[in-house]
Amino acid sequence: MDKTHIEISNLSFTYDSGIEIFKNLSLSIKKGEFISIVGPSGCGKSTLIRLIGDLLTPTRGEIKVENELNTKARKKGKFSFVFQDPVLLPWRTVEENISLPSEILISKEHYNPLELLKIVGLKDRGKMYPHQLSGGMKQRVAIARALSFKPSVLLMDEPFSAVDEFTRKILNQELLRIWNETGVTIIFITHSVSEAIFLSDRVFVLSSAPSTLKMDYHVPFSRPREKGLEESIEFIRSKKCLRQELII
Amino acid sequence: MSKTRTNNIVLAPFLLFVVIVLSWELADKIFDFNKVILPSPSEIFLAFTENYIILFKATSITMIESILGFLLGSIIAYLLAILFLFSKTTREALYPYAIALKSTPLIAIAPLLVLWFGNGMFSKVIMSALVAFFPVLVNSVNGLNSVPKELLELMSSLSATSWKVLLKVRIPYSLDYLFSSLKIASSLAVVGAVIGEFIGSTEGIGYLINNASYYLDTSLMFAGIIMISIGGIAFFGFISYLEQKVIFWKRDK
Repeated sequence: MDKTHIEISNLSFTYDSGIEIFKNLSLSIKKGEFISIVGPSGCGKSTLIRLIGDLLTPTRGEIKVENELNTKARKKGKFSFVFQDPVLLPWRTVEENISLPSEILISKEHYNPLELLKIVGLKDRGKMYPHQLSGGMKQRVAIARALSFKPSVLLMDEPFSAVDEFTRKILNQELLRIWNETGVTIIFITHSVSEAIFLSDRVFVLSSAPSTLKMDYHVPFSRPREKGLEESIEFIRSKKCLRQELII
Repeated sequence: MSKTRTNNIVLAPFLLFVVIVLSWELADKIFDFNKVILPSPSEIFLAFTENYIILFKATSITMIESILGFLLGSIIAYLLAILFLFSKTTREALYPYAIALKSTPLIAIAPLLVLWFGNGMFSKVIMSALVAFFPVLVNSVNGLNSVPKELLELMSSLSATSWKVLLKVRIPYSLDYLFSSLKIASSLAVVGAVIGEFIGSTEGIGYLINNASYYLDTSLMFAGIIMISIGGIAFFGFISYLEQKVIFWKRDK
């Protein structure tokens, strides 16, 4: 658990439009950690995970995953994304959607789709089409697809912000279970401070652009985390502490 | 769709048709219109029964021209749209010409095409292809680019080649747009073929209608118009049917 997994050093990133998003940002993430990123909108949360996943190239600085550059890591299929919109392929069944990565990353080892469906709790939905599923189920399929090629880093960009509160709570629990079972490192962007605390080992609070790491908050709650945790005084205190950091 | 609703869609236009035909026939009995200006439904029907062999033959010739032109125009348009995707230079070089072609009235080019390709079927196929081409090109370009940004990001995180992105994502995504344009193109293709036959031809429904007008055989003209419009509707209907079959996820929604 103590092994460094992702090392970001002196990262700078400026968009072509001239907007500077990051300036000399350095971070380190351990193997199997659950990290959440919060920050004001426009601060570059989404940009950061796209930089880590090598969808964007840093202006300066570098990102290493298991001691190799992230460009190389991407080619080996170490990164996987889940977005707010599940972006499933409507002409493919759930099973076929999940096996999409296996048709592209042919050389990599993959989970059996049926096994994955069991992990995300959709055991008997494999033959259904996306339009026959609810929003929460679609997002589970997106997660299953993201895990199908055994990535070592799962990058999630507000994955549950489009589902209702109730479903979101359930999905949070499920995600923790999946994380536990797979041992994947998760970087999770959210608007919700309580979601961030409930899920994570650490919460990164970013300032507005050009962003710096304003706070590296170590979540003080042990695991497994139960449903009632969010009502406890300590939890509310944590929330307050992070909120204050966000407002200033 | 419920059964009553399906019945209404078929039944309502049919009843309207019956009402129009009956009142037309009745009005003709009362006012006795000049047959050359406006023949009665029964006279049109008579013209049809007397000439049904040549009517069917002419209609099938025009439909064959339309279908061949439609296929030629849309296949070239779709392949070109894919080429545009891979080469921005090609797109920038060719797009203005495609628009120029679209802005030129077909009827202005028709005599030239007849001159070049003769007054047989081939010049009509070319004419159909020209009109079918443009809507398919524009919609296919849009369709191939309609893939959500996140899906493209997902594909690049998997290091997918642009070829795989094209096959697995872009082409299926473009089908929705493609079929919308194929429906337009199917109707336009028939128009193109008929215009071609008007300009220079010895067969087909355009020729038949044009010829009947010289002899002031208005009943036969009507019969011809009805035949080709049935042909056009059937063509459109077939493409709509294909669309429902292919893009099943949209239908079931």
